[in-house]
Amino acid sequence: MANADQIKKSYIDYVLTHGEAPKSVYNFAKKLKISEADFYEFYSSFAAIEKAVWEDMTMETLAKIRDQEVWSKYSAREKMLSFFYSYIEVLKTQRSFIIYSLKKHPKRLTTPDILTGVKMLFLDFAEEIINEGLDSGELANRKFFSKKYKDALWLQFGFIINFWTDDDSAAFEKTDEAIEKGINVTFDLFQRSPIDNLFEYGKFLTRNGKFKEKMGI
Amino acid sequence: MQPRKVERSAKFVTTGFRIGGNYVKHYSKKLFNPDLNRDELNEDNATDIYNSLSQLKGSALKIAQMLSMDKNILPKAYVNKFTQSQYNAPPLSGPLIIRTFTKSFGKSPEEIFDSFNPASVQAASIGQVHEATLRGKKLAVKVQYPGVGDSISSDLRLVKPFAFRLLNMSEKELNIYIKEVEERLLEETDYNLEVRRSMEISKACGKLKNVVFPKYYPKLSSNKIITMDWMEGLHLKEFLATNPSQELKNKIGQALWDFYNFQQHELRAVHADPHPGNFLITPDEKLAVIDFGCIKELPEDFYNPFFALVAPGLMNDKGATINAFRQLQMIFPDDDKKKIEFYYKWYKEMVSLFSLPYRGKTFDFSELKFFEDLYAYGEKITRMPEFKQPRGVKHFIYVNRTNFGLYTLLNELNATVRTDTFPPHVSTI
Repeated sequence: MANADQIKKSYIDYVLTHGEAPKSVYNFAKKLKISEADFYEFYSSFAAIEKAVWEDMTMETLAKIRDQEVWSKYSAREKMLSFFYSYIEVLKTQRSFIIYSLKKHPKRLTTPDILTGVKMLFLDFAEEIINEGLDSGELANRKFFSKKYKDALWLQFGFIINFWTDDDSAAFEKTDEAIEKGINVTFDLFQRSPIDNLFEYGKFLTRNGKFKEKMGI
Repeated sequence: MQPRKVERSAKFVTTGFRIGGNYVKHYSKKLFNPDLNRDELNEDNATDIYNSLSQLKGSALKIAQMLSMDKNILPKAYVNKFTQSQYNAPPLSGPLIIRTFTKSFGKSPEEIFDSFNPASVQAASIGQVHEATLRGKKLAVKVQYPGVGDSISSDLRLVKPFAFRLLNMSEKELNIYIKEVEERLLEETDYNLEVRRSMEISKACGKLKNVVFPKYYPKLSSNKIITMDWMEGLHLKEFLATNPSQELKNKIGQALWDFYNFQQHELRAVHADPHPGNFLITPDEKLAVIDFGCIKELPEDFYNPFFALVAPGLMNDKGATINAFRQLQMIFPDDDKKKIEFYYKWYKEMVSLFSLPYRGKTFDFSELKFFEDLYAYGEKITRMPEFKQPRGVKHFIYVNRTNFGLYTLLNELNATVRTDTFPPHVSTI
């Protein structure tokens, strides 16, 4: 009798050895010497296994970073940086599988199915640290836009993962750069900036500048 | 997939436009005021180039430093601006520092050291310095910015056209020199090499009076991290602000002179980065050398003809002098008689100026006239069309930078030093 972990491992081994998914669940179950019903006990399909692999790695990363001694001292920006650095480290242990599972899906603007679980986990995490940042004043609260911050980070997520799968630099050094610069730029945008002041000033002028009267409107 | 490069290209493009604008401004003013000299233009250009360089990191910053050291080539206005770039660059994030440590040692800095300050105390052009302690010892930990090595070549490509414009020279002819710079810069990114050399040179220089070195910890160092003893002391500017006695200034100056000349003439490899940030004056009145990133080795076929010129006597022999100039490619094989005479005269003047400190037993570097003569000579030849084409073997770049850097430091110290402590050894040529 196999368990979820064994099925997952065998599946990863199978796709990496063969470069493709097994022909059918029946076929795969037979190789594992389990019944098809046993398989469904744990996973509804091969896609479900892949999704679970991603989710496991994401949860592992989240647990790992929260476990760091410095975690509570980190700003929101540093927490996000820490997430990505650790994530890349965790993904590295399954790099071949990651590349296999991402390349299978044509690059589209929508999230691939296998990442839907990860997206939920990531957005929850992002929302949590963004709220912390908003509370502490590290990030600017811009009414409507603050709700979109986490989506901007999800875009960075996609960019960084893609960058990493194509990265051929030693020790993935370029990915480190992509993370450092990308996340910093994104968080710079979340902070209060001259644009906010300009916007405020514009609002003030339209209220008090008597533009309308002067223009004779 | 390389946002960085694009960003930086854009930066340089805007600089290009601005410099173009500065020239337009200059020449339109000149229409009305023919006496206008290039100082204002130089100042404008330097400001714009500096502003864009200071927003870049890594090798561009290094190039800025490098140019700022070459006071002999650059007009003063550039130098003042560039000197500012020796400090300040945006720091690495805490998580990236941890990442660099785990990649190198499999452990976080907190696990390795008893304490580690995640806020860097100083930027070091291609890295930053942190303070740490281990078993009661205070340590300096240098962490390199990621991707520095990779971006050097592309930075140089970007900075090239501007560097050439600055120096009024053509790109093709300067490539051999740029290559030399690139080699040294790439060496600087190899922290394993730096640790090895630091240990070798500090051992070789161990007997020099009043020169001290930090201890290096190879087990706590990697290709991206260097751990060494924390040196207490003051930077040159701070030291001078304490109004040290002339005697003390001479002592430090002598240590500097000995350090450089021992390396040049005994080791034939020299710490080629004599900018003030690489030295500290310790509380017990010694010179501490804290950075061995840039080492220039002096091959025999350069060392001999060059220092033969410096040694007394040779310059009285015109034939031998021209012969040495030929070996150093300051006179080309296809130069005609007139050209040979021309370059002989000008290079003789240059070498005489340069070797003045070696002429007697002591030299007073507070002597402003010496430096004014050097600058005046530099400015004079940059205006001559004959010097538009670069001459001289590539080794000159770092050797000049080293020696002029040393002279400048000694001048800032107003030191008088004995210059015969480690004389050149040349076999007759």
